[in-house]
Formats: sequence, structure tokens, C-alpha cells
Amino acid sequence: MADTMQNQGSTPSTAEGKGITAGSSRAGSSIEDLAQVAVDLAMQRGADYADARIVRLARETLTVHNGAVADAEAPDEFGVGLRVLKDGAFGFAAAPTTYGGLGDVLPGLARRALALARDLAPLRRRPIQMSGEATARGEYATPVVENPFLVPLEEKVDLLLRADRGMSGRREIVSRLASIGIQREEQWQVTSEGGATHQVLMRAGGRIEAIASAGGVVERRSYPNALEGDFRGGGFEVIRSSQLDVHAERVRDEAIALCHADVCPGGKRTLILGGSQLALQIHESVGHPTELDRILGEERDLAGGSFAGLGDLGGLQYGSKHVSFVADSTAKGGLDTRGWDDDGVASRRFEVVREGRFVGVMGGRASSGRAGISESGSVSRAEGWYSPPIDRITNLSLVPGSGSLEDLIASSEDGTIFADTVKTWSIDQERRNFQFTCEVAWEIRGGRRSRLLRLPTYQGNSVAFWNSCDAVAGPQEWRLYGVVNCGKGNPMQIAEMSHGAAPARFRGVQMLDMSGGTSV
Amino acid sequence: MALLDQDHAFELAEAIVAASSADETEVSIECIEDRFVRFGHEGPTQSADRDHYDLSVRVRFHGPGGYREARSTSGTIDHASAVAALGRAQLLAKIATPRPEALPLGGPVDVEGTSPSRPTQDHTFKEKAEWIGAALAAAEKERLFASGLARTTVMSRSLVNSAGRQVHGATSRAEFALTCSDGGSDGESRGGAAASSSIACFVDQVEVERVIEDAVRSAVLSREPRPIDPGAFTVLLEPAAVSALLSMATEAGFGARSFSEGSSFMAGRLGEKLFPENVSLVDDPLHPALRGWRFDGEGAARGRTEMISAGELRAPVTDSRWAQKLGLPNTGHGVPQPSAYGPSAEHLVMEAGSSSRDELLAAVGDGLLVRQLHYVNIVEPQTLSLTGMTRGGTFRIRGGQVAEPVQNLRFTQSLVESLRQVVAVGDRSQRSGSLMGGEVVAPAIVLRDFAFTSRA
Repeated sequence: MADTMQNQGSTPSTAEGKGITAGSSRAGSSIEDLAQVAVDLAMQRGADYADARIVRLARETLTVHNGAVADAEAPDEFGVGLRVLKDGAFGFAAAPTTYGGLGDVLPGLARRALALARDLAPLRRRPIQMSGEATARGEYATPVVENPFLVPLEEKVDLLLRADRGMSGRREIVSRLASIGIQREEQWQVTSEGGATHQVLMRAGGRIEAIASAGGVVERRSYPNALEGDFRGGGFEVIRSSQLDVHAERVRDEAIALCHADVCPGGKRTLILGGSQLALQIHESVGHPTELDRILGEERDLAGGSFAGLGDLGGLQYGSKHVSFVADSTAKGGLDTRGWDDDGVASRRFEVVREGRFVGVMGGRASSGRAGISESGSVSRAEGWYSPPIDRITNLSLVPGSGSLEDLIASSEDGTIFADTVKTWSIDQERRNFQFTCEVAWEIRGGRRSRLLRLPTYQGNSVAFWNSCDAVAGPQEWRLYGVVNCGKGNPMQIAEMSHGAAPARFRGVQMLDMSGGTSV
Repeated sequence: MALLDQDHAFELAEAIVAASSADETEVSIECIEDRFVRFGHEGPTQSADRDHYDLSVRVRFHGPGGYREARSTSGTIDHASAVAALGRAQLLAKIATPRPEALPLGGPVDVEGTSPSRPTQDHTFKEKAEWIGAALAAAEKERLFASGLARTTVMSRSLVNSAGRQVHGATSRAEFALTCSDGGSDGESRGGAAASSSIACFVDQVEVERVIEDAVRSAVLSREPRPIDPGAFTVLLEPAAVSALLSMATEAGFGARSFSEGSSFMAGRLGEKLFPENVSLVDDPLHPALRGWRFDGEGAARGRTEMISAGELRAPVTDSRWAQKLGLPNTGHGVPQPSAYGPSAEHLVMEAGSSSRDELLAAVGDGLLVRQLHYVNIVEPQTLSLTGMTRGGTFRIRGGQVAEPVQNLRFTQSLVESLRQVVAVGDRSQRSGSLMGGEVVAPAIVLRDFAFTSRA
């Protein structure tokens, strides 16, 4: 059993490319045919609308902790989710299955989804109406240079061990972690409106993290991003480009240095945020508040609402003239770059904030229909086959300005703080009041980075904060940063998206002095 | 589809163990039946009737340098998919680093099997619709916008390994949650809002009427909240707020890995009486409000574990690896192995005290009543310095009485310091969840000098 997938003398990856696009059921029907069967069954039983999504999700995660492979996992799942609209209410049923068993589960799912919609329809005060969209048919695949599932496991582990070795050699380091992850999501979708799409989405990324303990202080430093790391749409070339081993010593040394650094001072300060930190700032204070279902109050029970309303479109000065945000599910390398969303709407690019003015929202077909918006944002997404689609932030990016990071620093007054890489974050249920702590900061003196600072913590109000932006660095500093663990919905669903950013400067930001734990 | 019963699950797992060429093999199977309806003020928005399987295979090869091990999972439980997962795990194990310190897989353990609640498993969408209909009607009567969740879930878990360990159990969970607020997307800050929920092991224990009455009444009382300056207040934290704080300590505070690495507040302080007498925290899967899993990710038996007893720091929670490393008993809090993550207290219970609600309010005198906390996160793990926002109804307390509603505030406060400032503990506990996940059984508590650092 051990060698069923082994080939050519080296240890291959956990699947031979994971390609199953020609897959068919035991009965001989194609997967597309069976998705159509699911939709037909629902329509024959009385649905007003139906869509079926059949999804295969394969992942591989390798983690090296303190010099040893501590976590090696290769999950693989296959299932089908069927959504129906009946008498103005949605019903959704989902089950795991196999290729051979796919045909057997469909009648039960159609019956359950219809029954559910019928039971709930009397409660609808107003029927759900999906916005009208062009019927989608076609194929999409993430452009991939190097199929990550075909890279030998030994090579992947060697890459991680090299990064681990780079972080070793200092007794202050109590934890070294290096990890990479790859994911292949293949989806067949058919709708009762004639839509039929097939897409293969590939994502990859990794990270390193060093935790140091010295003088009673414990500090963490990460690269190229904190939390799960930095992922992009693509193949193993994404992981290679991160050069985890090249940055390992710096990460180690900065973690140790942070243990001996002063705590970042409080008070009103000019703050420059690096792109990695800005990505999460964008996510929390621009992405979620402009999701249409939140604006309509439909997420209020757990995640919350939004300070922004539909009446604010075109009027609210969300940021300064330097601030423009573009939503783009066609962006090269984005984690939410694909052919269509889970409503079957073609990916698109549109403005959310134009030179400070709030001009667009991110809504799927159901919320757009409810809001009277004729064209959705192609942002409706579900976690795997298992969940019904909800409105999601797509790739949302800050449009670059001009100049380099060093130009920004050089033109800033003494006492300015340059901070980067999220350590912790929190924002209120209406996305108004936020507080972030970064892993690292430097005080600016004489137009240069001077002393290292730990626990840089800033607090603000979303609109006031973006209006305090007086400079955004240029395209040479701009890049996409991935968010792989965005939780939303209840029960919570996880989704991925990217945020492009170049470092930006903000004036009069409230910094907190965390040396006493809590005081302003 | 249904949950797997013990015999069926063991049979499936034993077949994979038998097919394995590894020196040691562990197979775990999790099955979920989940039914939920989300709703907004216009009625149901999302719903699902869904099943989920997770079959996980862990293999270990023993060599001169110790065990090489890896894991792979399948979302389907047919034999062919399971064998494919076994093949992937065996491939991965070949590149794993040998672990000389790793112990052999644990053998047979005595773990009592548990069964799912049949009424919970059979609860229908029509019955959930009745809950929701009652909530929508009550909210509309007061011109409030309602949103919430009705959900029932049953799960089974089974674990079999080549050392003879065989454990099986099932749990049930039922929830009804309701948030009521004044209109508009930002209804909470311009108007009032309140949330209430009931999470129980069995569907017939869900307090639907109590949730509706509490959410509607509190939302009405919270209308037109007044601005308030941040600062340090004596606060009465309702159980949901206590849960949101304590759930941040499950791994960072009470886990053996954090303890070993020095980032836990317990590190180097076991035996110290750090907190007042009325602060006791345990992990208890047998608690009647939880009825959780009686074994961990390696099938090790799990019982009641005292982390803080009458204010004294007792011990972190462990798994087989960290118990061995630290010379402590294995408390059965491991996640599926191998993993870079350490053990975590997943069944956290703060022991109830003796104070009635009136006594809690009297203990506050002049301060704030906080019903719920939102988006709580760790700023600094050693002191468990946390930040988050109040939500769902915040009120002034004056002269031991609940007074006017106030606008939401952000807090930035060390949990360790807060627990040192507990002056009264309520006599009734409640199971609550929070945005960041995890559920805690906790009473309301009163504590001094809780630091609010900014307005909403």
C-alpha cells in the first residue's frame, strides 16, 4: 500500500497532479452531466431556480517545527451542494460522495433542498429575487507555472528545513516554524438558467515564524506575512518566489531584537504602514464594511453590520483624495481570481472608493436583487461544496500612488512610526472602531528608520483613518497579499482573497502605549 | 445518510489499520449532520441540510532515529477513498523527520461511549421555522430588526489504532440566537441593540422563549444609547462577555505548549495563589451543559482538569507529547497528531459562585453592565492582554441598579489582571459562544478597574 503513488525513485507529492477533469461516474455520465441531473431533479420537483456545485478540494500542508517535520497532511474531499429557490426562499442540501456514488445522492439532495425551501418560504416577508445576469458557460484555470502537487515532497521538506536552519543557532529562539501549503479546488457548476462552468483554482503559499524569549519578554517575527502566511493564486512558483530561507536569519534576529526593544510610545503620531499590515487594514475597515449583505443587516447576528449605508453611495468621503480601492476578481495572482463566482456570475473589476468617495459595494445576486442593484459584483462564494454562498470580499486593493517607501520615510517628521506585519487585530461589529497591533515598528529620525520598537498599537475610526492618509507609495512598492482565513457567516465559512497595497502614510493616528498593559 | 454507529465505524477503521504497511496506524472518523437556518428581518436568508465526513489516517514508521509520522484525510468514507488517504499518509511519513522522543501509540483505554440525542437529530426545519416566526413577530411588535440562527447538529467520532485503542462517542448541540436592533445597517450605534442566545446539548433544553424575551426587552431598553467617556470601570460582565474573554485563554493561557515556551501566564507560577478565592477554572467535558468529547485527538481519555482552583494555579492541560516533555500527567487535550499545535482546553468552565443578580448589581454600585463582547483578540499573550468591543446592549449601573444605555466602547485589558480583580461571581452559569469560536460555561462576574480605551 505504501508505494501506490510512488514513481521514479524520489518521493513524489501526495497526488500526481490531482487532475481529474476527465472524471466520470461509475455509470459513465460526466460530472457535468450529473450536475445537470441535480438541477433537473430540483426543477422537476418544483424549484423556481436551482444550481448545483460539485467540488473536489485537495490540499497538502507541510510544517517544520524546531527542525522536524511536525505536521504533514494531505486532505482530499469531494462533494455536492444543491441550492434551490422556491416561493422566494432558498434551500440548500449537501453531501460528500465519490465519483461513482454521485448519481445516487442527487435525488435525496433535491428532495431535502426543496423541502427546506418550502418549510421556510412562509416566513419570507419579501421573496428573495436574484439580480439578472448573463448566463455563464465555459472553462477557467488558474495560470500555473509549476504544478505544486508534482514537486517532490523531499524538495519541499528541504526548502522548509533550510529556512528552519536559518532561524536556528540562537538560544533565545524558543520556537521556529516554517510551513507551506498548496491547494487545488476543482468545481463544476450548473444552473437552471443554462449556466455551465468548470474551473480549476490553484493556490500556494508559505511562511516562517520565529518566537524569541529574552529578559522576560516573548516576541514573534514572521515573513512574508503573519497568521497563515502569504498565499497567492498560482503554483509552486509562488512558494519559490517567497525565498523563505533567504529571510530566515533576519526574522530570527528581529525576533530577538524585539525582546530588547522599547515599547512603542503612545499619543498622536504620524504612522506609516507597510503593505503587509495595510492588507489586513483594508480587509477589515474597507472590505467588510462594503459587503452588501452586511450593509443590508443580514450578517448582524454574529459578524455585525456596517457603518456604511446604501444612502452613502456617491456621498460618503470614505478616505482622502489619495485613497482609491478597486475590487477585482480578475487580478493576476489573486486568491479570489477565478472565472465565475458561486452564483455563476463572470468575474469583474469595479471601483469601491474613487479618490476618497464611496462608489461601490460588493454584493452577490441575492443581496443585489434585494437592494435593487441590477448587476452583482460577482462576489458570491461558498466554502467548498458544504456551504451555501454568501457575499464575500473579493480581491480588494489600494490603488498605488507614487514614490518609494524610502521616499515616504525620508519625507516624514521625527517621531513618525513605521509599522508592519499584523500581530493582533480587532474591529467593532459595524466596522467603525478598530485596533491593530503590529509585530514590529521603527521610529523615524532624520528621515531614516532609527530605534526598533515592539508592540506598536494603533486605534482609530475607519473613515477618519482613511481620510488621514496623505501619501501612498508607488507601483514599485505595490504587491498582492493573501488572506486565507477570512471567517464570515453563521455557521462560519472560511474564504480566501488578496489585497494589493503599497506602504501608505497616515497623520494624527492614536497610538497606544502598551508598556503598562492597557493605558492610552 | 446517518452518523456511523460504533460497530460500523470500528469495522471501517479496522480494515484500514489492517491494510496499512506502517509500523503503527491510527484511523479516526468524524461524521456530522448539520441543519441550520439563518434569518434577517425579512425572513430566512441562508439554510442548509448537510452532512460531512472526515476520515483521517495517521501512520508511523519506526527507525533508528525514532518515529516518522504523517496524516492524511478524506472527506468520504468508502474503502477506496480511505485506502487512498492511507497511501498519501504513508508517502508523507517517508519524508517526515524522525522523532526520537515520540512514544508508541497508546493502547486500550476505558472511555464510556456516548450517543446522540434522537430528538435533536430529528428536529425539523418546520420546528426551526416556528422558533424564527415567533422571534420575527416579537421583534416587529417593537419595531426592531431581528436576525439570528436556529441550528441543530449531531456528531460522532471514532478512533481505532494498531495498539488496540478503540473509542467512540457522539454529541448533540442545539442553538437559537437572536439579535434585535433598530433599523439601518448601523442600527446598533444609532439605535439600540441586544443579542441573546441559548446553546444546549439537547434541543428540548433550548430556551427559545427566554431568548426572544431577553433580546427584545433588552433591545428596547438599549434604545438611544448615550455617549460615555472611556476609562476604568467596575463592570458586571454577563456570561456571554465572560465567555468571549476566557475563550482566548484556552491555548495561550492553559495549554502546555504555551506553558513550556514561557508565553503562558502560568509559566513558572504553578502553586501560586494568583487570583481571589472565588476564581476557579476547569476543563470539564462531562459538565452537564457541555457533554463533550471524552477522548482527545489521539483517543486519550479526558476528564475534569483543574487549571485554577480557588485562585491557585494548578496545571496546564496536556497531551501525550507535552505531558512527557513536562513530566506531567496526560490530561487528554491533544489535537490530532502530528501537529505543530499544542494542547487546548476546549471544555472550559468557570465555576459558579453564590451571588444573585441583585447582589452582583450591588457589588458594582456604580459602573457598567456589559452583555456581550465582540471580536476579542490577544494583544500580548503573557498577560493575556486583550482588546475588543462591547456590543448587544451596554448600560450604566448606578446605585446598584441598571440605569441608562450607553454607546459601545473598546476595551484593552489584561485578562490575568481582570481575574485578580473579581469581586463577585454569579450563582447561575450559561454556555456561550463568541465570534472567534469556542464555547465556555461561565457565570456573570463583577470585576474592578476594567479599562475601556476608546469610543465606538
